[in-house]
Amino acid sequence: MSTLSEESRQIVASLAHRVGPSVDIAGIAEAITSILQDMDAALTPIIGQQGCVALLRRSLHLSASAHARLAGMHDRVQATPDRSGLKAVLLEQTEADALFFGEVLLTTFYTLLTTLIGPSLTARLLRDVWEPSLSDTPSQENSP
Amino acid sequence: MSTKVTINRLATGVPGLDEVLGGGLPEFSFNLIAGPPGCGKTTLAHQMMFALATPERPALFFTVLGEPPLKMLRYQQQFDFFDSDAINQSIRYINLADDTLAGDLDEVLRRIVSEVEAHAPSLVFVDSFRSVVLASQTQHYPNNNLPQFVQQLGMLMTTWQATTFLIGEYFTETDTNPIFTVADGLIWLRQSVERNSMVRKMEIMKMRGQPTLPGLHTFRIASSGIRVFAPAPLNPDETPRSLPMQRLKMGVPRLDEMLGGGLPRGYSLLVAGPSGSGKSILAATFLAEGARNGEAGVIAVFEQRPNHSQNATLADLIRSGQVSLVDSRAPDLSIDEIVQLLLSEISRLNATRVVIDSLSGFELALAPTFRADFRESLSRMVTALTRAGVSVLMTSELEDRYTDLRFSPYGTAFLTDAIIVQRYIEVRSRLLRIMAVVKVRASAHCDELRQYHINDDGLQIGEMLADQEGLLGGRPTTQRTGDHND
Repeated sequence: MSTLSEESRQIVASLAHRVGPSVDIAGIAEAITSILQDMDAALTPIIGQQGCVALLRRSLHLSASAHARLAGMHDRVQATPDRSGLKAVLLEQTEADALFFGEVLLTTFYTLLTTLIGPSLTARLLRDVWEPSLSDTPSQENSP
Repeated sequence: MSTKVTINRLATGVPGLDEVLGGGLPEFSFNLIAGPPGCGKTTLAHQMMFALATPERPALFFTVLGEPPLKMLRYQQQFDFFDSDAINQSIRYINLADDTLAGDLDEVLRRIVSEVEAHAPSLVFVDSFRSVVLASQTQHYPNNNLPQFVQQLGMLMTTWQATTFLIGEYFTETDTNPIFTVADGLIWLRQSVERNSMVRKMEIMKMRGQPTLPGLHTFRIASSGIRVFAPAPLNPDETPRSLPMQRLKMGVPRLDEMLGGGLPRGYSLLVAGPSGSGKSILAATFLAEGARNGEAGVIAVFEQRPNHSQNATLADLIRSGQVSLVDSRAPDLSIDEIVQLLLSEISRLNATRVVIDSLSGFELALAPTFRADFRESLSRMVTALTRAGVSVLMTSELEDRYTDLRFSPYGTAFLTDAIIVQRYIEVRSRLLRIMAVVKVRASAHCDELRQYHINDDGLQIGEMLADQEGLLGGRPTTQRTGDHND
């Protein structure tokens, strides 16, 4: 699955890019939730609000089962499994834990979607999330 | 100059569908794709959408309640026509589940309008429209007016110059449903089950302004998508048989002479005989003779164990590509499917000789639902093939009945232009074979019952058994010399 690990690297890089040089917990929590928000924005029109919520919940569950150190965080997010609930829990963590959680959660979300609709369509739907600077119309589509 | 409006017809990208629709899909039409669950409605919609949508002519696909969009994307991308690159470019999916769940049709319509205005699509799909209808039947919105909703949607889409498809589960076409009235086109998909077989059928119940092909048309869903088997077009400018008659050599010594000089080109020939009488060998020789003269051939084999593998000549011809083998093991064939297969091979090879081996196997290969109409099916096949200009040789298994003279068990002998019959007879404790040319339409032919035998070179036709009589009864007797006045 070299392509997927390529995507994982991209997700981690994108998160790092959004966090920027300041490594305070508020910035990290904001970066993670803003990426989730962008994913939501890309997917909700297609799969609906409920579809997105279900994907997030499943991603949280999978992340916690794969990494024991995330189990505690997962239990607390369970109470309000949406972005605001997640952000509140993230703010209570150390910077390193929050960043790790974010990386795991986002890659898990991506992988989950890949298992459902395949890598190429997943990449297609979410590419603007990772490459906001490239989201302008590609040159070949400017031709009349 | 005509001042009438010209209706553009869109090529749907579904093989055979444009023919059935009567020349493609009218632009800006408002259509309903209906049928029971699992009949291929969503697949048909997707296949047309991927074929028709372009960046200049984008498509909106509204998903309502029913199949979750994730599932739909998961399954639809298994088809070859699905192109991920088109998503969010020429094709946009929009989920209306939340709006529909709320049950307010006005709100659903508002959402559709705002998305249509935002994206200016040329193609609009609503899947499944049935759930919109069901959601409208709530107590919370007593003012929901479905006929009005449909009417407004239809008007809106037309004025926005969008070709629209509503996809819905409907089980009876006799429902008085407002959609049926408003829609310009009604494409009804069915799964016809008889005994253990299932055949998919499509009917264009309505398509305003154009001559659709009436009746039920079979289709299949494969990894390439849907393929509709439209009936072979009846070519009105059928070339009249040229005079003098051109004749094809059969490849069997003396048989041409029995046929009056060979098989007239464009004729259909029935070779009827009992098991082991050499029908398939005769058929293979017919193709080999064609190949020797540079004529390509097509053979359709319907036997459980195709004996082409046992006939070295035929196997060589198939290997070398001079003869194309149509060996459809697909279950539940329809006549139109077989005719399509044959015609496409005929045109691919520019073939002039076609063999159907055998009619008995062909009957078994047909889905049970078509067997009752076997004679009609056969008649359509023979007509379609001979109109294509090819000469057709069909074999027919004939149980030897010595009490009557029959040429096929189907009462179909009249369909063919020429008939050769083969029989076994008993002479001096030996089983001998005889054959005769029974009929060659519009041509003189030999009336002799000739003995023949089969060796490594094929059929070898001998002489009449002049000293025997009662051959057709199977147990001939030697004529007494006293009967001859010589």
